[in-house]
Amino acid sequence: MKFRIATPAALLAAIALTATACGGGSGSTPSQPSGDGKSFEFWSFSGINQKASVDEYHKVNPNVQVKLTEVGGSTETAQALTTALAGGKVPDLVLIQGDDLPKFVQQPQNFYDLRQLGADKMKGDYLDWVMSQSTAKDGSIIGIPTDVGGMAIAYRTDLFKEAGLPTDREEVGKLWPTWDAFIETGKKYVEKTGKAFIDNAETSVFYQAVNQGPQKYYDPQGNVVYSTSPQVKTAFDLSLKAVAAGISAKQTSFTEGWSAGMGKGQFAVISAPSWLLGQIRRNAPDTKGKWDIAKIPGGAGNWGGSYLAIPKGAKNAKAAWDYISKMQSPQSQLTHFLDSGSLPTTPSVYQDPKLIAKKDEFFSDAPIGKIYTESLLGLKPFYIGPDSAAIGQEFLNAITSVEQGKGDPAKAWDSALTNIKTAIGK
Amino acid sequence: MTATLDRVADAPPITTRVHQSVGERIAPYAYIAPFFLIFAVFGLVPLLFTFYVALFDWNPIGEHVFVGFDNFTRLFGDPRFSNALWNTLSIWLLSTLPQLVLALGVAHLLNHARLRLAVFFRMSMLVPYITSVAATAIVFAQMFDRDYGLLNWLLGFAGIGPIDFKQSVWGSHLMIAVMVTWRWFGYTTLLYLASLQAIPRAIYEAAAVDGAGGWKQFRHISLPSLRPVIVFTIVTSTIGGLQIFTEPLLMSRSTTCGAIRQCQTLTLFLYEQAFGQFQFGYGAAIGVALFVLIILFAALNYVLSTRIRPGKS
Repeated sequence: MKFRIATPAALLAAIALTATACGGGSGSTPSQPSGDGKSFEFWSFSGINQKASVDEYHKVNPNVQVKLTEVGGSTETAQALTTALAGGKVPDLVLIQGDDLPKFVQQPQNFYDLRQLGADKMKGDYLDWVMSQSTAKDGSIIGIPTDVGGMAIAYRTDLFKEAGLPTDREEVGKLWPTWDAFIETGKKYVEKTGKAFIDNAETSVFYQAVNQGPQKYYDPQGNVVYSTSPQVKTAFDLSLKAVAAGISAKQTSFTEGWSAGMGKGQFAVISAPSWLLGQIRRNAPDTKGKWDIAKIPGGAGNWGGSYLAIPKGAKNAKAAWDYISKMQSPQSQLTHFLDSGSLPTTPSVYQDPKLIAKKDEFFSDAPIGKIYTESLLGLKPFYIGPDSAAIGQEFLNAITSVEQGKGDPAKAWDSALTNIKTAIGK
Repeated sequence: MTATLDRVADAPPITTRVHQSVGERIAPYAYIAPFFLIFAVFGLVPLLFTFYVALFDWNPIGEHVFVGFDNFTRLFGDPRFSNALWNTLSIWLLSTLPQLVLALGVAHLLNHARLRLAVFFRMSMLVPYITSVAATAIVFAQMFDRDYGLLNWLLGFAGIGPIDFKQSVWGSHLMIAVMVTWRWFGYTTLLYLASLQAIPRAIYEAAAVDGAGGWKQFRHISLPSLRPVIVFTIVTSTIGGLQIFTEPLLMSRSTTCGAIRQCQTLTLFLYEQAFGQFQFGYGAAIGVALFVLIILFAALNYVLSTRIRPGKS
């Protein structure tokens, strides 16, 4: 095999290509959004039913053509957007998941500042802390929130009955005012039935508990504080405690085993942000009516949520903005919630009788609107930084390795910190 | 004499003749040009561009800061890189060796003169190869599942407790290797078979008359004639093995391939850094390191396979 050193000319050509390829992205904001307002291209991710919103919009605006593409999961969509932004051929409207948002907020020059299109007037409609996550350092708003997570515990009433535990959702909620009480309940369940209580400790305990406080991985000024934040350490220790208590089925979330275990009653509870309810319905259709939803230990918190943004190079920003302003109004978010269960980001509809009356048949007619909006109201917002997802992933991995019997619980915290430092360099 | 001169004068102008020969000289280059042009655009330029990006702290949608060889310095001190390297080599060995040996044996069997339904068996070798890798991954992930997998169910009868393949280092490597072997051994078998078919059957018949059994025939007739194709399959499977990506990603559903990165290969690590963490410069540095490794391995393979010859009778 022969390998020739490239000629300087080829190298120069490559560099020249680079220079031109990276020219896009910057530039001043046009005062008028582009396009004739007749059509726009919309990238969403699957599983969130944006098709319903688009159909709704079509009824009111039959003349506007919406080209909706479901790129893939939320991560794939964010990756595709990154590639599109670097290459210069972008969609007019894109849905970005909350965890992926900080990286884009750090580079606001890639997006329309929605204040100039009228976001200034509507921003009061949305939860302050949700809005602040899509507000860049320079004050520009790059995304309008479509939904939030909201937290609760989904549990199997039939399995609770077998274990001699109460099945009524109010009484179940009273079993676990704190995470410690939750773990104790789990121990009782395991003693009685010999089966696992939770699906896994890393998402059902750590990811929930770490989202319930004022300071997660960053302080309000944007400095990384994951190693000193008491909220993080407490959540980490709680999850190790759950592992040590032997209440976990050790099923990693979103895997085949996890989906199968859900249908076969391998575990009795899952921490379920509102968007997870759809996964339970899809993975375990035969368990309809056997589930119910109770309050989460430790009170309010949020996990997840998405935003709509308009990339700077969009050809039809005008039409895209019209879609955002019409479909993300409080009334439209309420309609979307009633159709598909995505929790509104607009607190003005939280007291709406239709939202409060919304019951879910699959989950024993649990009043999901009421339960999830209540979990948001006492929430203490925290700053989400560009490396939040990477930091969270390393903590999660450290707990998983202990849970799977590969890691030493005494060293788990230190090894997590080392891995985070390797990963993000600080 | 004059006639000759006249004829020279009547001859077509010399320029045309030169013109034709230039065309003839250029033509072959024009015929092969498409490949080299396409290679330059889709092969060489991206390759050089990768070398270039590796020298930067490169955010795809933000700043590009020149950092020189910092990415490489960081790479050599990164435990995740050495972990990915060992994982890759381990999976490659576990999948390549059994695959080639198995293919060799099956090819020999399929070449048997008295095999009934030979075409059916030969064609069925291709089934794993034409099956979508995603479908294969789903089936294998279910078979190897800790709680609901077929394999652990069978092991249960033998009194062996459930093995958590996905979570352990060796288990996950084995699982991926089995999948790679299953997918590729049929393809390799057919390559070997094609080579075996080229050997005149009379040679085998003569050997049989001389009293050589199946093993001796294989050892002294089949194996030597297969040498070039064996070298070819070793080189291609080395390159493929070092670039293994889809199988571990689909089996684990994560770019880290498990909580302790137990099956994260070099390409998965590259993908995680570049497209997961948006560190394109660091990702490119991993790509360059991988490129160098493949060149080294290919060279090593070449040297070894030209030196080592199967024994002659």
